[in-house]
Amino acid sequence: MGSLFRSEEMCLAQLYLQSEAAFACVSELGELGLAQFRDLNPDVNAFQRKFVNEVRRCDDMERKLRFLEKEVKKDNLAIDDTGENPPAPLPREMIDMENKFDKLETEMKSVNSNQEALKKNFLELTELKHILRKTQQFFEQAALYQQDQETHVPQQYDDETPLIASEFSRSFNRFGFVAGVLMRDKISAFERVIWRACRGNVFLRYTEIEAELEDPHTGDKVNKYVFIVFFQGDQLKSRIKKICTGFRATLYPCPETPQERREIALGVMTRIEDLQTVLNQTADHRRMVLSQVALNIRVWLIKVRKIKAIYHTLNLFNKCLIAECWCPVVDIDRIQLALRRGTELSGSSVPSIMQQMQTKENPPTYNQTDKFTSGFQAIIDAFGVSNYREVNPAPFTIITFPFLFAVMFGDMGHGLLMFLFALYLVLKENRYMKHKPEDEIFKMMFDGRYLILLMGLFSIYTGFLYNECFSRSINIFGTSWNVRAMNFTDNDVFLATNPVVTLDPNKPGVFRGYPYFYGIDPIWQSAENKITVQNSYKMKNAVLMGFAQMIFGLSLAFCNRRHFKDKLTLYCELLPQLLFLCALIGYLCMCILYKWSVWTVAQSNTAPSLLIGLIDMYMLTDPKSNNRVPLYTGQYQVQIFLVIVTVLCVPWMFLSKPYILYKRSKQKKGVQHNRLWYTCLDSQSDDDVAILHHENNDANYGKQEPESLLIIMLISQFDMSEVIIYQAIHTIEFCLSCISHTASYLRLWALSLAHSELSEVLWSMVMHTGLATSGTSGAILSFFVFWFFSSLTVSILLVMEGLSAFLHAIRLHWVEFQSKFYKGEGYIFSPFSFTLI
Amino acid sequence: LNFVFFIYFAVNTSGFLEGLVRGFKNGLSKEDYRHLTQCDTLEDLKLHLQGTGYGHFLANEPSPLTVSVIDEKLREKLVIEFEYIRNHAYKDLATFLDFIKYSYMIDNIILLITGTLHQRQLSELLPKCHPLGIFDQMETVTIASTTADLYNAILVDSPLAPFFKECISEEDLNEMNIEIIRNTLYKAYLEAFYDWCQQKGGATADVMCEILAFEADRRSIIITINSFGTELTKEDRAKLYPRRGKLYPDGLLELSKADEYEAVKRVSELYAEYKPLFDGTGNNPGDKTLEDKFFEHEVTLNVNSFMQQFQYGVFYSYVKLKEQECRNIIWIAECIAQRHRAKIDSYIPIM
Repeated sequence: MGSLFRSEEMCLAQLYLQSEAAFACVSELGELGLAQFRDLNPDVNAFQRKFVNEVRRCDDMERKLRFLEKEVKKDNLAIDDTGENPPAPLPREMIDMENKFDKLETEMKSVNSNQEALKKNFLELTELKHILRKTQQFFEQAALYQQDQETHVPQQYDDETPLIASEFSRSFNRFGFVAGVLMRDKISAFERVIWRACRGNVFLRYTEIEAELEDPHTGDKVNKYVFIVFFQGDQLKSRIKKICTGFRATLYPCPETPQERREIALGVMTRIEDLQTVLNQTADHRRMVLSQVALNIRVWLIKVRKIKAIYHTLNLFNKCLIAECWCPVVDIDRIQLALRRGTELSGSSVPSIMQQMQTKENPPTYNQTDKFTSGFQAIIDAFGVSNYREVNPAPFTIITFPFLFAVMFGDMGHGLLMFLFALYLVLKENRYMKHKPEDEIFKMMFDGRYLILLMGLFSIYTGFLYNECFSRSINIFGTSWNVRAMNFTDNDVFLATNPVVTLDPNKPGVFRGYPYFYGIDPIWQSAENKITVQNSYKMKNAVLMGFAQMIFGLSLAFCNRRHFKDKLTLYCELLPQLLFLCALIGYLCMCILYKWSVWTVAQSNTAPSLLIGLIDMYMLTDPKSNNRVPLYTGQYQVQIFLVIVTVLCVPWMFLSKPYILYKRSKQKKGVQHNRLWYTCLDSQSDDDVAILHHENNDANYGKQEPESLLIIMLISQFDMSEVIIYQAIHTIEFCLSCISHTASYLRLWALSLAHSELSEVLWSMVMHTGLATSGTSGAILSFFVFWFFSSLTVSILLVMEGLSAFLHAIRLHWVEFQSKFYKGEGYIFSPFSFTLI
Repeated sequence: LNFVFFIYFAVNTSGFLEGLVRGFKNGLSKEDYRHLTQCDTLEDLKLHLQGTGYGHFLANEPSPLTVSVIDEKLREKLVIEFEYIRNHAYKDLATFLDFIKYSYMIDNIILLITGTLHQRQLSELLPKCHPLGIFDQMETVTIASTTADLYNAILVDSPLAPFFKECISEEDLNEMNIEIIRNTLYKAYLEAFYDWCQQKGGATADVMCEILAFEADRRSIIITINSFGTELTKEDRAKLYPRRGKLYPDGLLELSKADEYEAVKRVSELYAEYKPLFDGTGNNPGDKTLEDKFFEHEVTLNVNSFMQQFQYGVFYSYVKLKEQECRNIIWIAECIAQRHRAKIDSYIPIM
């Protein structure tokens, strides 16, 4: 295992693969997932690559599998998921697989077409059945009317319906009619068209088929109408038939006499029954085939995808199957082992060779993570992937991030809730790992579960320090203050008139002389000036923590410089930066600590203000001259010295590096011509080696060469103005940022204040009203108020406040901390791995 | 005030859809075309198209591929995208999108009537109809034998009815007639569309009127050129010219008198926009035909319409550009399938 501190050491390696063994080797590497292959033919089209035919075959197999999968899903069969991870099959098995899939597909298709034909037949019969039944109704109604007409007064022709009905029933035989079935949504358009086209000389009746019918082609349920059109004459008949085909209505022959209709209906019924049995048999057969498929389809899909991925990777290799890949140095043995395994598997006698190469290119950044660290690494990578071998802030973030968060979120109760939530996620981890959560927000929380766990834990800790639990304090160790020692008597006039009393720590007995054992004294909970006291304390704390983190950042930069052997920057940039920061902010921090530890309660009235002190320091005024009490003796002299150091640091930062660079370039200038040629030759010989490695493969390497020469020449041209501008920007930025970043750390105080005030408000405005009411009504009120209180606590204090504290913590890390040392211009290592597909 | 209008447009009408269309529009680059023309087989073409915005639209097609399958799938993709937009549009935009559909409806009707005249089966004709132009009554046009019949029985309910009023007559349908119907319909359609855009005003009018005016002029010119050597009289011909283009009124008057190609050219060259289109055209191999030039000009206009925001022109242009792109792909595919590589480069590039 590599360390989290820096990214893994990477190397560029060349693989010489035997053509027989290449497939197996790449397959093994894919299982291992430790090598990132480089595309050696970027100029070649996708379809001109070597293994394009194999990729295409895989595509085809995938298509067949997708087809089968769709069929399986159509039948609602469960796809077997055993979690098994089959290895990629050998290329010779591919033909078997292809044959198998091909057979299955054709079988499936024939079953489908059979079924479709049968269903179509079935549909036609059912439609015919419905037509017969419905038309029967039409005819019966007509007959009924006829009877009506005959039994009643025969001259009743004034009403329209009986007119048509009687007319139509009387002249039954003179009219031709067409019966058919039509989609429901087309019926109104159909009616209109038929009316217009035949100029009203037809009679149309239609009614809905109650049962839904199944479209044999798509399998959808559709609603249809039965219609019957009566007309006179052959011309109209052909015209109506044309319209019917236009609307895709299906016409069925319908005999005219009731007897014939009944006979046909009987025939249709028996045929439908026969067909139903055949249909059932087909469906059974289909189900059988599909259940076989469902058992295996997942494994097949994985296999095909693996083959496809392997060929895709092989396409990245050059024509002689020489591959270039980045891999971590520590894992070279494992890669070589995998290669050997691959060679053995393929039965090839010639081993595959792996060889490290020298390169000038920037290797990818590869930070090994596990489920615990991945969340923290993700926060860092979201800002920028670190440069190769740069100090990785992630391991420090594991502690500092939850800590800074907790400083802003300090409350035992809220922290505990957060901790329990994260604990639940962690404990149920395996279940959620298997069934990936769908919800995006939940997924995000799940990915950061360890982060949330630590945040909750640290919040409990800081809440304990702040002595706050849902904004209430707990008196565990006994407060250090004693009200009785103030000697108030029961009928004191002062107590009766004043609701507020002042506890004077200088009075003997009122303050015990040593502070509350741990954290903030609970008596402050009831103090009027709680906020003022806490503000001062939290503000100073924020500055201290900010300074500590910034200094830590600078020391990481120190590590970076040492690692990259950049002495110039170390002495001409880092050192003055460190001094500058210490003299400016470090001194302030020292003053804070000094004042806390040396100045006691008794002197608190005369204690000097640190802010005024800081201003005086830069105004270069002696505190004594303004009749102010000095913090310590000799303060003026020390301050003068520090101011001088601070001021001196600025030109040091600004000028020294450009000057030395200028000197160096001037030294070179004398021998520039020689030098230049030298570098050219140098690089050429280097590249020659590379070309030898590449053999005859790469035209583009040859192409790159003049460019790389040009770049070397350009680099050797020293541009003074650019260096100065660059340095000036950096100097100004650093000096300003020292102050602004320190000020920025005050957000620790601000958010913590906001959080505690908000929870205080929530308690006193909501929960307190419930608890203050006495009697039964108070109990009931408390019950309801509690729900209100708890939901507000979760939604506002936990979720919203938590989110804002989280964002501020991120900002403090990204901007204030990482800007001191982190470049973040690398690119991530993305190995070829089967787990990702 | 403009700002308020933009917000109104974005929120109330079609901000979402416009964004969508701009996303859909992203088509093939020059590089893509170059790669496509290098393909040896249709399988190569499919493989390459997978890497572009077309994605896996052919993934479920079994090999061997045919050009017609590609064509069908391309069209299907366009239709799905368009219908998606249409289903989300309302108010003015819906009307606008329907206008786009009408031109396809006209094409479909004419196709069906011509097909029936030539005794083709309906089932044979239907797959050839453009799916954007399908409407309920469409398939019954085969029963009509005169235009009046056609209108009274079938089209009176369809959205095309208003365009049809001008060409009602009791004459039997024959080939000549159908051409006249087609052009009259188109004329009415273009004029209605143009007027609608004009009345809509704003940037939509700026962009669309430009495009539609060109469309109208193109039709006038093509009608004139095609009419040489047919029975069409000059008076009848003059009736077919859409009267919304830049040629209207003087140019059209001149055009109606023309009786040879040179005359048409003379008329058109009086207009700055059309002069370059006639320059360098010819029927010699290597020359671009006038139609290609027209297509190129149309593409430029449509591409320009994407330069303006908050207007409906982008929807029209999107459909037209996608169509052109599909035509290009089909052209290249045909060339590959028929091993006729000499002309593979004469697709119309979309810049």
